[in-house]
Amino acid sequence: MSVTAIDVVGCGVVSPAGVGLDALAEALGRGAAAPPAAPEGPDAPGGEAFPGSGARAVTDFRPAERLGKRGLSRLSRTDQLAMVACGQALELLDRPLTDEERPRTGIVLGTGAGSVRRWAEFTRDTFVQERPYMVNPSHFPGTLMNAAAGQTAIRFGITGVNATLAGGPVAGLAALRYARNSLLNDHADLILAGGVEELSAQTAWAWERTAGLLPGNGVGEGGAIALLRRGAERPLARLLACELGFADPADGPSGVGRRLAEAVRDALKAGEVDPADVGVVAVGGAARRGWSAAEERALREVFEGAGPERLRVQPVLGETHSASASLQLAGLLARWRGGAPGERVGLVTALGPDGQAGCLVVLRG
Amino acid sequence: MSERPGRRVVVTGLGAVSSLGIGARPLTAAIREGRSGISPIEAFDASGFTHQRAGEVRGFRPEEHLRRIDPDKWGESGRFAAAAARLAVTDSGIDPDELSAMRAGSSFGTNGESAVLVRLSRQWVEQGLDALDPAQIGQADGGRVAAAANAELGLTGEAQTVGTACAASNYSIGYGFDQVRSGEADAWVAGGADASNRTIHAGFHRLGALAETVPRPFDADRDGIVTAEGGVALLLEPLDAAVARGARIYAEVLGYGITCDAKQMTNPHAPSIAESIRRAHRSAGIKADDVDYVCAHGTGTQANDTTEVAALREVFGDRLPPVSSIKSMLGHTMGAAAGFGALVCCAAIHDGFLPPSATLRRVDPEIGDDVDCVPGTGRDASPRVVQNHGFAFGGNNAITVFGRVSA
Repeated sequence: MSVTAIDVVGCGVVSPAGVGLDALAEALGRGAAAPPAAPEGPDAPGGEAFPGSGARAVTDFRPAERLGKRGLSRLSRTDQLAMVACGQALELLDRPLTDEERPRTGIVLGTGAGSVRRWAEFTRDTFVQERPYMVNPSHFPGTLMNAAAGQTAIRFGITGVNATLAGGPVAGLAALRYARNSLLNDHADLILAGGVEELSAQTAWAWERTAGLLPGNGVGEGGAIALLRRGAERPLARLLACELGFADPADGPSGVGRRLAEAVRDALKAGEVDPADVGVVAVGGAARRGWSAAEERALREVFEGAGPERLRVQPVLGETHSASASLQLAGLLARWRGGAPGERVGLVTALGPDGQAGCLVVLRG
Repeated sequence: MSERPGRRVVVTGLGAVSSLGIGARPLTAAIREGRSGISPIEAFDASGFTHQRAGEVRGFRPEEHLRRIDPDKWGESGRFAAAAARLAVTDSGIDPDELSAMRAGSSFGTNGESAVLVRLSRQWVEQGLDALDPAQIGQADGGRVAAAANAELGLTGEAQTVGTACAASNYSIGYGFDQVRSGEADAWVAGGADASNRTIHAGFHRLGALAETVPRPFDADRDGIVTAEGGVALLLEPLDAAVARGARIYAEVLGYGITCDAKQMTNPHAPSIAESIRRAHRSAGIKADDVDYVCAHGTGTQANDTTEVAALREVFGDRLPPVSSIKSMLGHTMGAAAGFGALVCCAAIHDGFLPPSATLRRVDPEIGDDVDCVPGTGRDASPRVVQNHGFAFGGNNAITVFGRVSA
């Protein structure tokens, strides 16, 4: 067993499938369905019109109920998603955090560019108001990428390591790797680590304008937070290795795909796992034009053929960008709640247009 | 000095793209002279703002510094990061081809590709969301900042972009330190980058946090920050490797400490800052008495400077080491700020000086007249151990500690 393993002792998840791992397991069991043209439901994001090509909002979000109405409008949707997902994860502890534990507890979140909608609306005011500084001051902190981690820390009184890693589709793995480093080097004892992405017309149009999604896929949103510690007694899962690498994106998806293949090999080696023992791969690029094929080529190269089954959360949840890798991990954990009895090891893979590629090796608890 | 297992980690290369010059040498020379990098804003249309000055980089032609990446394919923050990374590698004397073949990665602190996001926001306002430019969309993600550095240097290790606002560069240095110390990487480029933009300027403007003319950290008449930009990078490698290749060693990274206030998003909190200092000291294996100089966060706002010194008193008692703020010259470079502090700390240890609080006229009595803020110009000195502060909205506090490597 690797001495650098980190244990997952809980997982909070909020997604178009609903809240919690059971809702996610059910949705994954039902499989893919066509996304609604625009987000639906009482808690769907408002604002500008969506492009109409498919968007899934979180189901059963109910932020006012879960977080309280007071101060809610100051929080971006990204902040709210992070707080709900982290709250879910903390509820899975066998008891509340003590005052002694809070300084040794951390929050590490992955992001793309923070709350894009909050940034865009705040910036809009600098152009359309009478004076460019006539912006809403209470919305300023929410324009920063670290807002969700900071707000979540305030909400739960968590005063340890608090970090935000930007990495788009790889951000969830970037966050896990940062969290793992903090745990292994004794900067924290317990960490809430994952990724969050909010749905907005701004980001939906960005996907539309770049023609980034494969046909039949829509944009999604959500967040998944793994509760991590060293040496837990009965973990949900054990993270045996998390390897990240980089290839110059100027070389296109094939170059990044080749780097992904190396990252998968490195991760299997670091986790001391035989490729034949891998039962499932939760892939990251399934909805992304150009990247799905590059990821598949990498996996076929490593497994010398089709290899293990693929778990594709994107056709069910939508493309969730910086929440994706975390939702892929949540997808594995959901799948293993009672199902897939023969599977012992799963991978989470991710790669993206900025050149990052990564692989997480997960041992079932 | 540290009892902790693992390799000793040293800084052997410094790179900077700043309002006080391009390259670490022009920057540190300007810092020692106490010069100002503050000037009228050119990076965006500042008409309509009542405060129209910033610490902006002048005369930076990316193509003169970037060898691999096409600057047109990257945003402003990424270009700053990549150029600073290239400058740090050149400064270190390490063979760039050998570096790219090593297990090496980078980490950069930033607020992201803010200038790109402003352009996209403007397209939305003026033309509509259906007119967003796909090329700009492709340059908008924050993760592209460290990615630009990796691409420029041909690094195949991870590219970690830390989005923890104004403390982010100390996170990136701490992370790189752990990677090299633990043996997960054999070389690392750590730093930060941010570009001048109207959104951040407007935010601080609206909060009443912008100074009328220049930032005056610790001064009785201080009236806020001046927004600024730049890119900064440090090359980290194991001490043994640096000695083996005969490298110039600026300083050793001794450790770091991180805390979160979890109180309020914009007001600093002294007890939490004090705890991050104590954590940094423990991590570095030092005592408070060992510290010869503090490179303060020192923004020049009323709240920061008073709170920061209160936190220092909590840890150091009445034996405060000299404390100064390079923001008095550079302004507040946001995600790059703590990286510039780290660069100057390394130069201070290697060259033998204390950086000044250049604009200081009279120390705020509320801070205490016993505090040596190194007013005016740099002072010749031989600091052995220095600590570098970085705090952020969100309640984030990160402190790095650097030490002289004995011959």
